[in-house]
Amino acid sequence: MTYSWHLEMIWDYRQVFARGVVVTLQLTIIALACGVVLGLVFGLMRGARNWLLSMPAMIYIETFRSTPTLVQLVWIYYALPMLTGVQLSAFNSVALGLGLHTAAYLAEIFRAGVNSIDRGQMMAAKAIGMTYFQAMRRIILPQATRRMVPPFINEFATLIKLTSLGSVVAVPEILHEANNVISATFRPLEVYTAVAVVFALIACPMIFVARLLERMLTARS
Amino acid sequence: MSAEPVIQIRNLHKSFGELTVLHGIDLSVAKGEVLAIIGPSGSGKSTLLRCINRLEDYQEGTIEFLGQSMGYDISGGRRRPLPEAVIAKRRARLGMVFQNFNLFPHKTVMENLIEGPIIVKREAREQARKRAMTLLSKVGLAEKADIYPNRLSGGQQQRAAIARALAMEPEAMLFDEPTSSLDPELVGEVLEVMKALAREGMTMVVVTHEMGFAREVAHQVVMMDRGVIVESGVPADFFSRPKEQRTRDFLSKVL
Repeated sequence: MTYSWHLEMIWDYRQVFARGVVVTLQLTIIALACGVVLGLVFGLMRGARNWLLSMPAMIYIETFRSTPTLVQLVWIYYALPMLTGVQLSAFNSVALGLGLHTAAYLAEIFRAGVNSIDRGQMMAAKAIGMTYFQAMRRIILPQATRRMVPPFINEFATLIKLTSLGSVVAVPEILHEANNVISATFRPLEVYTAVAVVFALIACPMIFVARLLERMLTARS
Repeated sequence: MSAEPVIQIRNLHKSFGELTVLHGIDLSVAKGEVLAIIGPSGSGKSTLLRCINRLEDYQEGTIEFLGQSMGYDISGGRRRPLPEAVIAKRRARLGMVFQNFNLFPHKTVMENLIEGPIIVKREAREQARKRAMTLLSKVGLAEKADIYPNRLSGGQQQRAAIARALAMEPEAMLFDEPTSSLDPELVGEVLEVMKALAREGMTMVVVTHEMGFAREVAHQVVMMDRGVIVESGVPADFFSRPKEQRTRDFLSKVL
């Protein structure tokens, strides 16, 4: 069977794809910002000696790591409003869901990074009169960050790809826009191929830049 | 030596869960005094030192530094841990040197020295740098100021760590086996720096296996074993006429 490709039709819908790319990037950036801040908080809590801090963090992290991302997103969009009476928009639901999801994974990366730093560093920082937070900010995290870059890159790339789940609740990101194009053109082969290529074009340069950053950081220490 | 002790420890008890490591320690260190703590490994020496600046918590007893509690507030009958900020402030006046140096590897030697003065004491950078440079000359590392610690020998790292502690202008210094992880030929240079400090009148508590240093520099020697003080005294008596059998056994092994 020979299929006659009509890749030129993608060009006709370039603006639709461009809109999808913008939404995908918005979701990625918001979820990442949310994930970094919450991830740092949960990561530090998880490592605390006080179980009142570590226990909630552990429950949070393990809940998000052991349930499918898709289930988390539909739960926030469809189930959460029934509990709270607050209906988030599809976009906000997905941004929040992916943010919370990313936070759980980043928390583990932060914790592992902080744990990898010799205990003597914290003692030395405290011995010159630093508080826990001063020591974290000035001594522990700067050293831990260098070791966290490679797993962080992985998580980042995963997050970009996870935004495609937004299509399930009709967030107009790339995949959802593509489905609309398919309904209008009946050309899934061209359109889905284009979707894959677009995701690769977004993720690849970011991974490349992060690699470069990693190399610069390790060269300096 | 003034009447008021710099460090005063009363009836200190410390345990890690089921394991008790300190069974009632009483110690007092006067201003300008050098106290050497010796004893077999696992006797609780290092734990005691870390209790003094509250890097470890403890279950019973009191530790006072310059008349202020290090660790717990016992006014009003209840024993409450002091707020972290209060402990940090008191710790800043009590220098500590570790067995493994614990220099900050992501900072140069100079940055290691000025970190505390700038971040903790909010000192002006120029002033901090100036004093750091004086201290580095004093420990013989003036030309290593802009080098990262991993390029230094063990002896140089430990001298830099001593300078880092001194940069905070502490009222007393704690040394936790400062020469135990050094190659034998590098021990001397670190002990020289410590002797110079003692001569200048620095109040020092030194956990050490260097009996020569204890005999020559210390004003008071304390022997610890299994979490208690077995014997203490001035070095001349302590080393030539130890009273306790356990001290004699220990000294016969290390001397």
